[in-house]
Amino acid sequence: MTASESAAVTQVYDVLIAAFPGRPTDQAVDDLQQEVLNQMNETDPRGVILDISEVTTLDSFFARVISETAGMVELMGGRAIVVGMRPSVAITAAELGFGLDSVDTARSTDHALLMLGVTVEDADDVAAGPESAAATTHDDGDRSGSAPSPGGADE
Amino acid sequence: MSEDGETSDAVDPRVLQSGTIRVRSEDDILRARQEARAVAEEIGFSTTDVTRIVTGVSELARNMHLYAEDGIMTWREIEAGRDSGIELVFDDEGPGIDDIQGVLRAEHSTSGGMGRGIQGTKKLMDAFDLTSNPEDGTTITVRKWQ
Repeated sequence: MTASESAAVTQVYDVLIAAFPGRPTDQAVDDLQQEVLNQMNETDPRGVILDISEVTTLDSFFARVISETAGMVELMGGRAIVVGMRPSVAITAAELGFGLDSVDTARSTDHALLMLGVTVEDADDVAAGPESAAATTHDDGDRSGSAPSPGGADE
Repeated sequence: MSEDGETSDAVDPRVLQSGTIRVRSEDDILRARQEARAVAEEIGFSTTDVTRIVTGVSELARNMHLYAEDGIMTWREIEAGRDSGIELVFDDEGPGIDDIQGVLRAEHSTSGGMGRGIQGTKKLMDAFDLTSNPEDGTTITVRKWQ
């Protein structure tokens, strides 16, 4: 497993952000779920943001793990919000017949932080600009930098 | 036993290029996805169609690995008249599928959703053909036209 496929869980205020890798093996997806739950236990956050902005292929297995992870976070007393689904992934998921049932979604990490009730002052800081980059690391600018290139190795 | 012969009814397309990936591990599933993505992008499919194709490959390659452990994905760039497209064949010599009708109706879910994966994949593609028996294993052929 290379670094690009491995789990990335970071903390912003009292919220965990789990960035799902763009081209994970099934094992890497399972590992990230475990990592989220472990950190949930250790840091007692108010919520978890599941960032799937790098995900270009959301098949039924991956969707089920995300759904399950959100359910487990809620069982542990937190709130889980899925952010960053790409349009092509949303179209494909809808056609495949699985939504992320009963999972909260948001369009961006900032929006998800607001939904999680990060205070107004905090939210202003977050929205202030690239200097407070922690919360916006996975926003559009970053995404376009790693967009799949035609014929390239990016999966 | 065969079900849904949409592809077999079609005119045989011309094959421009082809390749195979052997699938016998999770890493191979990843490789199958990457190869399918590269080919679909090269053919010129839209981002959404590429996503549909790669998602279908992921479902079918995983099923093949899960139920037969070992199998081959063959991809072909195809052309029929002015239409260009991709054909993907998943061929294994596993135990075969007992209840093909049930699988295609997605009522079947032996180890966590084979039916859902196969039925969903059918929706993402333009043509879908499934042949399965205990002697020869399972062959699934899908096509997507641009």
